Amino acid sequence: MTRVPALLITHADLADALVRAAERVYGPIEDVGRLSNEGLSRIALEKEIAERVAKWPHGGIVLIDFWGGSCFTCGVSATRGREVVVVTGINLPALLDYLHNRDSYPVIELAERIRAKGQESFRLQRAPTA
Amino acid sequence: MSWTLHRIDDRLIHGQVVVAWGQRMNPARIWVVDDASAASAWEAELLASSAPGVEVRVMGIAQAAQGHAAEAAREGGAFLLVRDLAMALALVEAGARVTEFNIGGLHYAPGKHKVHEYVYLDDVDRAAARSLLARGVALWVQDVPASRAQALETLDPSVATARTGPRE
Repeated sequence: MTRVPALLITHADLADALVRAAERVYGPIEDVGRLSNEGLSRIALEKEIAERVAKWPHGGIVLIDFWGGSCFTCGVSATRGREVVVVTGINLPALLDYLHNRDSYPVIELAERIRAKGQESFRLQRAPTA
Repeated sequence: MSWTLHRIDDRLIHGQVVVAWGQRMNPARIWVVDDASAASAWEAELLASSAPGVEVRVMGIAQAAQGHAAEAAREGGAFLLVRDLAMALALVEAGARVTEFNIGGLHYAPGKHKVHEYVYLDDVDRAAARSLLARGVALWVQDVPASRAQALETLDPSVATARTGPRE
């Protein structure tokens, strides 16, 4: 199975911070692209993304912080016509799941897994009251 | 008056619009006024999907100018977005009665010079800004509601006109 590549696109330095946090849990991380939208126009951000995903001959996954932001619109626009899935709402559990499974699943199935893992990670828990 | 925000932003719909201004003002509708986006059904659909729960209309300058006054009389708040100063001017010249634009983001591109952290202008932008100010349209630089609004001509005195002068 070919490794599914990924590009993290976020506001500010969240992508770098997420990778640093994931390294504390997973170990050294290679091959995860990172991109911030900071200071970039829509045209410039789309160009950056398009250049990165053009290097993926077998497709890949774009991981984005939230639906509706410029990372989202540019991510969707720049990957149009390619075998690339955009996953929004990326968090640490979802990123870790990607890292653990990127060599084991094809693009679509892996993207579905990541979404499920991210959704599962939201839970509520209260300590019992005395 | 339904219009609560007229904004110049090269990202059109994005997080600051939907989350920051949207949560504060809760618009019922967002007009994206952009000839290029209006010409592409796919692009219009993408922009519409970016603001869940809000009616997003994507249209060209002429259609927006024609419908601007009628929208003003509708119930519920509305935002209008254009991507640059030239389009803002074109909208006003086409007949839309806009008294002020919020400038939310005009990012760096070759040939543009920095006047603010997120506002870069070239001579074409400045000419459009002067024309808007000369028509009495105020231009305020402010990315999100929580930040301070600053008059463009204060940040870049070269766009000030005899009518406006630099303001604080």
